[in-house]
Amino acid sequence: MIWFLLIVSTVVLFIGYLTAISSKDLIRLLISLELMFGSVFLALIPLFMTMPLSAFGIAVITIFTSSSELLILIVAIMLTDKKYRTISIDTVSVGGDTID
Amino acid sequence: MAKIMVYLVLALGIATVLFACGVLLTKDNLYAALYMSATLILIATMYTVYGIHSVFVLITFIFVGAIGIITIALAATYRFIPARKVNIYWIIPIAIVTAIMAYTYYLYAYQMSATIVRGCDLTTFPAIYLLMVVFLVSLMALLMLSAIKLVRGEGS
Repeated sequence: MIWFLLIVSTVVLFIGYLTAISSKDLIRLLISLELMFGSVFLALIPLFMTMPLSAFGIAVITIFTSSSELLILIVAIMLTDKKYRTISIDTVSVGGDTID
Repeated sequence: MAKIMVYLVLALGIATVLFACGVLLTKDNLYAALYMSATLILIATMYTVYGIHSVFVLITFIFVGAIGIITIALAATYRFIPARKVNIYWIIPIAIVTAIMAYTYYLYAYQMSATIVRGCDLTTFPAIYLLMVVFLVSLMALLMLSAIKLVRGEGS
């Protein structure tokens, strides 16, 4: 059943990709990122079959760091809305820092 | 027992893909967030089929319980229906990634067999990987501090 798990993981990853590239607002982008992280969790299951403790360590790191990253993204979405009064993806795709 | 496990994984996998398709196809952000949370819960449930209960708890409580609920709240707040646009050239990187993954699965997937996993426990983990847990907590504290700095910088 390992092949089935990996196929499901790949399908979920591609659905996440498609959602990300078709999204026009930052909330949908956030949702697609969470979906991609979900597919990563699914792809970790085969590792548990061979190296359970190492796989568990990787799973813990992945869960906590991805949660922190998503929390930062949520803060960034809130700040973007506060500053630009919109969460459209165009506000960030045309932005960027300038070097003085 | 093994047959029940196979049927369970099949059912959960199909349900996961269907809910993930719901994220892609729905136009409302709120429903997309709800479908996403359901997908993640189903993924976590697959861990319990293989006996990895600690990861189920971590994914459900932290990823779905904390981040997923905040996402649902955000999606309910910003509940507008945007138009979609997809550039056709995105097919090229998707095709490259598909080819790499298909080759990797062809090489390695049949070498492993699915079994119930034992030996990973949340209670013994911090004692074994103490340094890693310390680094992880430090990393998360730094990330949270950067979020606070972002908010304070915006306020001033």
